[in-house]
Parts: sequence; structure tokens; C-alpha cells
Amino acid sequence: MNQIEQPSKTKSKLKGLGAIFKALNPLWFLLPALLILVFWIYYPFIKTIYYSFTQWNLMPDTSPVAVGINNYKLLLSLSDFRKALLNTLWYIIGMVPFSVIIPLILAIVTENLSNRAKNIYRALFFIPMIMPPVTVSTIWQWLFHPTNGLINHVLINLGIIDTGINFLNDEKTALLSIIVIAGWKMIGFSTLMFSAALTGIDKSYYEAAELDGSSKLRQTVTITLPLISPTVLFMMMLSILFTAQWTFAYINVLTQGGPGGATTNIYYLIYTYGMKSFNVGMSSAAAITFFILFGIISLIVTRINNRLEFYDN
Amino acid sequence: MPQRTDIFKHTLLIILCIFSVFPVLWMLVSSFKPLSEIFNSSLIIKNPTFDNYVRALESLPILKMIINTFIIAFSEAVLQLFTAILASYALTRWHFKGSGIIMAILSLTWLIPIQAIMIPNYVTISSMGLRNTILGVILPNIVSVFAILSIYTSFKSFPRVLVEAAVMDGLSEKSILFRIILPNIKASLISIGILLFISGWNEYIWAMMVNSNLDQAPIQIGLQSFMNIETYDDNSWGILMAASTLSCLPILAIYLVMQKQIINSFVKGGIK
Repeated sequence: MNQIEQPSKTKSKLKGLGAIFKALNPLWFLLPALLILVFWIYYPFIKTIYYSFTQWNLMPDTSPVAVGINNYKLLLSLSDFRKALLNTLWYIIGMVPFSVIIPLILAIVTENLSNRAKNIYRALFFIPMIMPPVTVSTIWQWLFHPTNGLINHVLINLGIIDTGINFLNDEKTALLSIIVIAGWKMIGFSTLMFSAALTGIDKSYYEAAELDGSSKLRQTVTITLPLISPTVLFMMMLSILFTAQWTFAYINVLTQGGPGGATTNIYYLIYTYGMKSFNVGMSSAAAITFFILFGIISLIVTRINNRLEFYDN
Repeated sequence: MPQRTDIFKHTLLIILCIFSVFPVLWMLVSSFKPLSEIFNSSLIIKNPTFDNYVRALESLPILKMIINTFIIAFSEAVLQLFTAILASYALTRWHFKGSGIIMAILSLTWLIPIQAIMIPNYVTISSMGLRNTILGVILPNIVSVFAILSIYTSFKSFPRVLVEAAVMDGLSEKSILFRIILPNIKASLISIGILLFISGWNEYIWAMMVNSNLDQAPIQIGLQSFMNIETYDDNSWGILMAASTLSCLPILAIYLVMQKQIINSFVKGGIK
């Protein structure tokens, strides 16, 4: 009998297994996060790609029917889609002053203030960022109210208008009103981001420029702007990629994309196709189209960014 | 004497502060206004009242929904922290093949919007029988890439020599992580956790899709249903503002106490 031998054999075997187990250490720690991400993001994403080539209405007893690239063809020919695309562009353009231009100017102009004062400002203009989306919507609905809202009261009292503007239900003002709400949320945060980037700049650059007798404006253009250009680009990219997401909740709560599709952006269109008209194929095709488009944009911006970061060396 | 340019700077910042704070202040003021004052533009209330709050609490299960929201935000934050701590540990403790790919897998999720995964996830949650439940809201949100990248950064700044010394002493990976690293970065863990709690509290799009049962829904869903009922009646703005105030009171309170840490980790981590 080899009863005596056996334990040592198992031991060496266990040792080998232990080494393998140890070599796989990173995997054990990564597994929970990776499995969950794959299950709730990557697997559904691949399923959405599949759905985009099918027709399906989400009914429990039915299953998707393959239709090739029909959804994509139809999508590109729809005026709804083109309108949502154009609106998305307007949202992004409208958002840039709030997320980049005004914050950048504010951060540059207000640099070198004492820290105590700065902390109070920081605490206050960060508040919109933590406010929940529906709460923000109710507040602005009240402020924008056509007859009793504060904004109309003030405008009428100042003699700027005679009768209240129906901000959220007028085709001319609805999109702009949504931008103001999303912009209100972002402006303080962006200012903080730029201020943080400015404090990171080495002060000796300015001292050298000062010695050379260059003016404040010149210093801003030749030193500050190039050095914080990565942050500017980063905020630009955030605005391009996420404005449609930032505005989604307000559109859904306040205008439902209306009036007459005037405030529908692409994400809201994808949502209505999918969860309201139950047209899974079209919704998925629109989602994939935008994934590709935004993917290309962020690739380009990352390339530019890599080139710009060279400045700080 | 302050310089003239300083006064100019302060003026600009005060204007931005007013723009940022005023809407929230207006919500608070309106919530305490009686019906007779709700339509005037004054910030000062002659006869402040709690009536709006009483009526808001009567017409919706607000407290129940605040508890739901708390459960959702708390469990999401804890699970997101837990999965992120484990993942960050692997990414900083070892150099291994494929860590680049894993970083790519993490970063790529930023490009996938919820609208590109909502239908399959909706089907999954439905088939699990979790529609209209708190669990159905939580389940797809137990990993946060933002959390992983934030914690990864603070692990990276942890001195490597300490970890190596612990390895020499023969400590297990578990002890290195839980007894050496975590206690030392407690502060940043807490602020990241609070940020995750706030973003869980504000979670709306996914909850709206899978949960319309007011008894199981977070407060944001409740507030929206309240809006749809009440705004047809012009007299209920005070009540709506009271409900709105209740819906953000817990996070405003947390913010008041922890604002410095919250802002710091927000600015560090960028935005989700």
C-alpha cells in the first residue's frame, strides 16, 4: 500500500496548484468587477448590436426577426432622426459657454484670491452639481412658469416683455431653457475644474515673463492658455460626449421632447423608440450609430490631447 | 485696503454664486410660503407655514420613498466601493500581462450610454422578476468605473515599500489590503463613498425605466409622478416645492458637513 507516500504527493500537487492559484491572484481580485461589467454593460451592448439588425416589439411571447440593415437605412431617412441630430448639435453648442467659455474666463480672472474666500465660493457654486435631476426640474419649472414664475415676473416688471413667455412649451425657447438648466448645473463645476488646473501651473513661468516685461494679457495668451489647454480640451470632450446625457432627465421630465420634437435629442429619441413605441430595432440602430459617431469623436480628441500635453514638458 | 481688481473679482464670483444658489433658495422659500404669498416675488415670507410639507406628506408616501432611496444609494455605494477596492488592489499590487486590456475594458464603458444597454437590461431584469423592486434598481449599478479609477489613483500614491515590507513579513494579500492599505487611505475612501452615495441618490433614468411602483421606487420617481398630478392645479406649487425640498434634504445635509471632501474627490475624479 502506498498510504504513506500519498500525503507527500498530494502536498506537492497542492503546492503546484497553490502556485497557479497565486499566479492568478490579480484575476481573483478583478473578477467581481469584471464579471459584473461584462454582464451589465458589455453583454447587453452586444445584444443591442444584434437587436439593431432585427425587428422586435419587446412582447414576451415574440422574438426578434432579422431584417438586415433595414433599421439603419430607415433611420437615416427619417426626419425625426435628422431633427434630433440637429437638436443635439444645438445642445452641445449651447452648452459650451456654460461648460467651457464662461468658466474659463471666470477661473482666469479670479485667480490669486485668498484661499478662505475661495473655499466659500467653491462650496456655494458646487451645490447645483449635487442636486437630483427631478428636483432640479421641478425648481426650474416653477421659475419658468408662464404666468406665475419668478423669471416672467421679473421680466414683466422690468418692462422687457408684456406677457409671460411659455419657456418650456414654446418651440422658440424650449431648447434654450433646457440648456440653461443643464448649464446651471455645470457652470460652477467647470469653473472649479479650470481653477484646479490653474493652481497646478508652475508660478516661475509668470515670474520669468514678468521680468521680460510682458503684459498680463500676453501672459494669459502665451502661458496660461497653452498650459491649461488639456483641461479645456477635456471639458470640451465632456461637453460633446455628455451634453445629450446631461439634458436627458430635464427633457423627459419637463418637455417630453416637445413641443413638436423641438427639444428631442438623440438619447431621448433612442429612449422613445425603445421604451415608448417599443420599436427595439430602431432604438438599437440609433444607439449603435451614436456609439460609433461619439467613438470617432473621442478618438480624434484624444489624439489632439496627446499632442497638446507636450507643452508642459 | 482691498485692491480694485480684487473687488472686481469678488463681484464676478458673487454673481456666479447667486446664479448657482438662488434656484435652490427659491425652492426653500416657496416651500414655506402660504397660498396667499406663493405668487409674489418676495424672498421674505410674512407668514411662514409648514402646511405645504404636511400636505406633501399626506399625498405621497414620501418617507417610504426616501427610505427606498437611502437603501438604493447606500447599497450601491458599499458594493461599488467593495468591487472597486478589490479591482484597484489587483491593478496596483501586481504587474501582469493584460492589465492594459483591463484598463481599456474599464475606460470603454464611458462611451456606452445607458440608452445603448437599456433594452437588454430591461429584458434581463424583467425575466428575473425584479421589475418594480428596489433590487432591480440596484443590481445593474454595483460596479462603478469612476470608483475603480478614483481608488486606483489613491492606491497608486500609497508607498510601495510598505506593501513590500508586509510581503516580506509573510502577510496574506487579504491582510495587506485590509490591515495595511485601507486604514491608511480611509479619508479618501470615505469621500469617494459619499460621492457614490450622492450619485446613487440622484439615480433616475434607470429607475424610471424599471420601477414605477411608488412603494418600491426612489424619491425622484415619486417626485415626477407628483409633478404630473399636481401641476395641473395652479395652487400646488408650494406643496411641490416642499416635496422637492424633502427629496434633496438628506444629500444637502451631507454636503453641508462634508463639502470640502466631496468637492476634492469630484474635481480629482472628473465627472461620471
